[in-house]
Amino acid sequence: MPLGIKPGRRARASRRRLSITRTAVLAVFAVFISAMAGSLAYFLPAAKLAWDATGQVVSIASPTPLPSTAQSSPTPTPANLQGQGAFTVLLLGSDDDSKFSADHVLTQSMILVRVIPSSKQVIMLSIPRDLYVPFWTGGSGKIDGAYSYGQAGGAIATVQQDFGVHINDYIWIGLLGLVKLIDAIGGIDVVTSAPVIDDYYPSDIYSRNPYDYERVAVLGGPQHLDGIHAMQYVRSRHNDLQSDIGRSKRQQQVLLAIRQKAKQMSPADVPSLAAALGGEVKTSIGLDRVAQLIPLAATFDNPDSITTMVMTPPLIHGGGPGGSLLPNWSAILALVRAYFP
Amino acid sequence: MIARFSLAVGLSVLMLLTSVGTYMYLGGRQSKVAVPAQKPTAASPRAHAYNLSGTLYLSQSGAIYSLSTGRFHQLTPEDGWTQPSLYPDNSNLLAVRRQPFYSDVYVLGRYGQVVRKVTSNTAPARSHDTTGDSHWSFYPRLSPDGNTLWMSYDSPKFGYDVPFSIWAMPLGGTIRQGKLWTNAIDYTGGDMQPIPLRGGGIMYTKFSYGPDENLVGQLWRTTRPTPSGVEGKALTQPGEDCIQPSISPDGTQVVMVCTFEKQIAHLEIASWNGTTLGPRRAVIVDQMVAQPTWAPDGSGIAYLAPAVGSAPFQLWFLPKDAYNPPVPSPTPVPTPIPGGPYNGTLPSPSTAPAAAAPVIKPIQITTNDGFDATSPMAWAP
Repeated sequence: MPLGIKPGRRARASRRRLSITRTAVLAVFAVFISAMAGSLAYFLPAAKLAWDATGQVVSIASPTPLPSTAQSSPTPTPANLQGQGAFTVLLLGSDDDSKFSADHVLTQSMILVRVIPSSKQVIMLSIPRDLYVPFWTGGSGKIDGAYSYGQAGGAIATVQQDFGVHINDYIWIGLLGLVKLIDAIGGIDVVTSAPVIDDYYPSDIYSRNPYDYERVAVLGGPQHLDGIHAMQYVRSRHNDLQSDIGRSKRQQQVLLAIRQKAKQMSPADVPSLAAALGGEVKTSIGLDRVAQLIPLAATFDNPDSITTMVMTPPLIHGGGPGGSLLPNWSAILALVRAYFP
Repeated sequence: MIARFSLAVGLSVLMLLTSVGTYMYLGGRQSKVAVPAQKPTAASPRAHAYNLSGTLYLSQSGAIYSLSTGRFHQLTPEDGWTQPSLYPDNSNLLAVRRQPFYSDVYVLGRYGQVVRKVTSNTAPARSHDTTGDSHWSFYPRLSPDGNTLWMSYDSPKFGYDVPFSIWAMPLGGTIRQGKLWTNAIDYTGGDMQPIPLRGGGIMYTKFSYGPDENLVGQLWRTTRPTPSGVEGKALTQPGEDCIQPSISPDGTQVVMVCTFEKQIAHLEIASWNGTTLGPRRAVIVDQMVAQPTWAPDGSGIAYLAPAVGSAPFQLWFLPKDAYNPPVPSPTPVPTPIPGGPYNGTLPSPSTAPAAAAPVIKPIQITTNDGFDATSPMAWAP
């Protein structure tokens, strides 16, 4: 023992010092922990919003087959539409302005989407909002009221009951959500089929008067649309001879453009996207499943594998109560059975 | 050996830097899809790489820009300016100034100064129906003699049915002196983008419902005002869904955008004899092209289309050789010459394989600009 160093003091000095190996291990551990903390800080707000928006629980009773359903002739289902992991989602797009109380809004858009991962096929069928159907809750009316009476569960149950289709999940988005979503992905590139000119377009999103209207003009041809103009394109129906049918076609165009743009995004975009959409999107799809579906969506890159359908005569015809459209159930159910087993 | 205090301080700093760095790294890994387009005058990289001849006028974010010798100049403020077109003598520009609920046609100088307002489409102050009395004017073009203004104008309109029709009015006059030239089909969007023809009449895009009940665009030609419903004739089929025509400087070809009722936009060229279009030839099929415009010297076609990893709808240029390849020079074929020391059978001359024409690809002129794809471009020599 060297002179001048007492045993207790040396031990304390030794405890204050660590070996290089232990220091390196500590440093690596610290880097790992702090990197995780940085990642958590980055994704936590998005995770919180996503947690709130996803995994929505809906209670749906077993669908009651309608007499018309039973009468329709069964149509054989192509085997390739029943691939492993195939599922059906009901897309709901709603008014969410101050004309209605929250969760009692009408659905401006209702689209059945069948996704078949094994064959990388997507089938989209738009249901006209004015279609006169029996509600799951009883009574009949335009199908856009199904959500109003029973929220997502009511809309799903009504579609399941009337169309004889099993719906695995739903996604609901409000008008403002659509605007925010499209702005958050930097707008979309769309080929608009024709100019959409409307002198009586509802000015209810940013207006104090939800019954106000304005003039809009979306010109025809290939163009880049921001959220507001994309919403004008998909929402206007006054200057379209096919009214809601024409609007459904435009909605499908915009959906495909959103999907196309979303393919260019990276996981690091999720927080800004989630922040933009806060409260404007709800889905029954769980967060874990969303994480599985995002990379899957990127593999659907063949435009020919996406089938879009809109209900037009003879599937429907006018003359229903209150300006509604009357369904030709046998034709509709044959179509639905063919594509939505 | 490291003192524990120093180690604690060091690790704290390291952890702080790592966590902040991770956060910033993730932020930096965001895609550029939501990055707003840059002003052409400030965009990087600049459009120096390829100098187009003459001066090209185009619109971005409500401002009109000129591109000359590789440099952009902003001619108007960002205030709804769009759809520039040139006077026949290239002395001035016509342009549309779009407001939220109406739009008007203006005459601008070549440097963007307002010369005068041509239309007055806002509802009069005393109007009881400001919606019905407001109008849109789009796609202004002047006749070859420079006296007549052609445009798409939303009149007549019938309540919810607001179609565009093609109107012609004296450049110095008012819409009351104008003539309704086309009979738009109800609930279609109507008739758009008139192009005055040298021999009289106009070529324009008519929107209608095709046999499959989808809305489609068709090129039409008409030679006289026909508001009663009897018009000229269609130049393209409904299924082709063709719009946005542009006539070549020598008047023998038309370039147009055809979408075939899908979310695609092919650039197609057809010969043009003044009354009918010849067979179509697709020259670009893998881009969403818009607003093709011939170079005044016939050197190629400028158009707008998205670019990968860039803001939407950049300026592209398709050189003439891409759609009108030069005839390859004949390959010399060895010709046997009788005589000399060889007296056997001469080899028969064989056809030499044709030289493969080099593939000419479109040239991307700008990056990150994001031009207005609903605005035709004007190109002065």
